[in-house]
Amino acid sequence: MANTLRLYLTCIRNTLEAAMCLQNFPCQEVERHNKPEVELKTSPELLLNPVLICRNEAEKCLIETSINSLRISLKVKQADELENILTKKFLRFLSMRAEAFQVLRRKPVQGYDISFLITNYHCEEMQKQKLIDFIVQFMEDIDKEISELKMSVNTRGRLVATEFLKQFV
Amino acid sequence: MMAGAEKFVEADNAEAIITRIEHKSRKIESLLKQNKPVEALKTALEGSPPMTRDERCKSANWIVVHRALMAIKDVEGMFSSLDPEYYDILMKYLYRGLSTGDRPTCDQCLRIHEKLTERAGLGCILRSLADTVNTV
Repeated sequence: MANTLRLYLTCIRNTLEAAMCLQNFPCQEVERHNKPEVELKTSPELLLNPVLICRNEAEKCLIETSINSLRISLKVKQADELENILTKKFLRFLSMRAEAFQVLRRKPVQGYDISFLITNYHCEEMQKQKLIDFIVQFMEDIDKEISELKMSVNTRGRLVATEFLKQFV
Repeated sequence: MMAGAEKFVEADNAEAIITRIEHKSRKIESLLKQNKPVEALKTALEGSPPMTRDERCKSANWIVVHRALMAIKDVEGMFSSLDPEYYDILMKYLYRGLSTGDRPTCDQCLRIHEKLTERAGLGCILRSLADTVNTV
């Protein structure tokens, strides 16, 4: 189990290292505009093949690249209803604060839980290796966070129920 | 206009290609029975129709390659006998396998992907991403 996680993250890391070759490219249609081409998808010659890396039926990662931007969409493993709700709330909390993260996208791509948008400007200001480390570390930490949240919800629920039902004993 | 002419040829050729793929799959089955997974994989990757737009041909070829890939047990050994010219096409098929989402396929593809990247480098990955004309 842990081995597939390691392989999955290695695969994503290698693909990101290869795909994160971004350069400045002003918009071809409108002058003086500079837009992330991966979001607009207007010119097919600027886009590379999107790559979908699945670990199993539940977890996957979609990496779409273009000449000046790269979009990474993640679907996190959700075992039951509770994890479903926790993941949605937690990732929504993060997405709302996308300004602070800089590379986070405010809304995840349809069908995924969270999305990152990395542009050439990010690559110029920040180190490419560190960006990739951040994304991979994020993926590892998300799983831990969700399990922790689930455990704390269950513990609190148990405590509250015990206290409440004591009055009926 | 070149692409147009090719498309026209494709429609007639599709049947021929599919027959060729079926013929290939029989050869691969026999190679797998003889316990030669690497040769089976080589045969599967060889005749890959590069300029086909027809989805059926691509799917048919993918099924054949998938069969050969899942039969591989020893990944290191496979790379010692696989020629470098097959690396690029193998990488494209690995990404196709990873997109299926089927657990055993993804496990196998992830294993091979790691070793292939060590061997072939990031250039191989980038070529499979950048080649929008010859897709599998």
